[in-house]
Amino acid sequence: MKTSLRKELLDHGATVVGFAGLRGYLSGEIAHLDRAVSIGVDRRLNEDTLKLLVKLQKRAARFLKARGHRTLVIPPDSDRKKDTFISKLYSLFNHKMAATSAGLGWIGKNGLLISPDYGPRLSLATVLTDASLRPDVPIEHCLCGQCMLCMEHCPSKAITGLEWSRSSPFVELVRLGECRSHKTSKRQTAGKPNCGLCINICPYGRIKAEGEKLGR
Amino acid sequence: MVTEEKKKELLAKLRNAVIQYDEDTSKEASQEALDVGMEANDAIFNGLVSGMVEVGKMFEAQEYFVPELLMCADALYAGLDILKPHVKQLDLGVKGSVVIGTVEGDVHDIGKNIVKMMFDVAGFTVYDLGRDVPLDKFVAEQLRTDSDLVCLSAMMTTTMTGMKKVIDDLRAKNPNVKIMIGGAPVSQDVADKYGADGYAKDATNALKDAINMIESLKKMKDEVEAKKKG
Repeated sequence: MKTSLRKELLDHGATVVGFAGLRGYLSGEIAHLDRAVSIGVDRRLNEDTLKLLVKLQKRAARFLKARGHRTLVIPPDSDRKKDTFISKLYSLFNHKMAATSAGLGWIGKNGLLISPDYGPRLSLATVLTDASLRPDVPIEHCLCGQCMLCMEHCPSKAITGLEWSRSSPFVELVRLGECRSHKTSKRQTAGKPNCGLCINICPYGRIKAEGEKLGR
Repeated sequence: MVTEEKKKELLAKLRNAVIQYDEDTSKEASQEALDVGMEANDAIFNGLVSGMVEVGKMFEAQEYFVPELLMCADALYAGLDILKPHVKQLDLGVKGSVVIGTVEGDVHDIGKNIVKMMFDVAGFTVYDLGRDVPLDKFVAEQLRTDSDLVCLSAMMTTTMTGMKKVIDDLRAKNPNVKIMIGGAPVSQDVADKYGADGYAKDATNALKDAINMIESLKKMKDEVEAKKKG
């Protein structure tokens, strides 16, 4: 089941797909849905990424439901309709936690999910389920090593340079207040809060991204 | 005219869409019901609501939990949004308008929203004040809209005490208004002590009570119709 679900999602545009076991990581309300399908799409600054992610989630949910399992679709962070009942529960769940548990990457010094192949350039969505999908091997530590590029280039000096690990998930990686106020100050030029230097600068996945930009 | 068979099929589809928390199917089936000329009332009560009744039972049996309940409610609303504009005014013999909100200091509104949904379904005009509502606002809104029912919700014991003040104020201004209270810390004792007319313990019971209410409204409606015919 796992292989065919993964294949179906990859065939329909997912960049990476991972499976996570989340027993013990979820709050009570959603604890009975302790397996996660974590879906990542290489965003390439493309507006359609969100639509694609939502489509992929629906596909995964249909696949699992058709086999008699329960699902809870957690939409991408930037596509959360606030007026639905279920949106009250979204804040109980963190996509990056599912992604690291599914072995898709680790949390980098910039606080983002870093995939070995695509760096911080993935948009994430998750489908929780009670289907007994065998989890992939989780990643436990930050694998950024000595690299400090994002910290050095951060215009608001918000990145602390500390390292994430699953055993200490509450370390302050990014001083969010400073990051946010900088992004907000960019609103006038970009039309919306904007920055993203720590994404552009990250060496992971950069060569791939730049190569594609040049049409190679 | 729509055939009995097609009608049955669509009602089952609507019902299952709610039970299976499938928003897309709920929308699709609702639109289809309108297209083939089914009564919107029929589609809502015998399709969507019948599904929600089943969900209520599954929730009670601990087969479904809070997330499923909420997703089912979303699926119901997805269909309701399409069907509602086509509902013919129900002749229930009750004036359906209600003011509802979570009292000042409290931001927990899941239960309130579920109760609100059931009122929406029943065809009431709902004035939803939202959450963390200043106590005076309930009274002001009731007077403004001349609603005959006010529903107060609170999840914390600290905010629950605000209900007493609202009830006293409401009674002083308008002795005839009916008041329902609900939320985790509320009990029948509290309802009696505060002078409320009705009470629902939590989201589950509110759902159950609201369903009971709707079913009794349906019965009343049937009786009215039977009388007309007879």
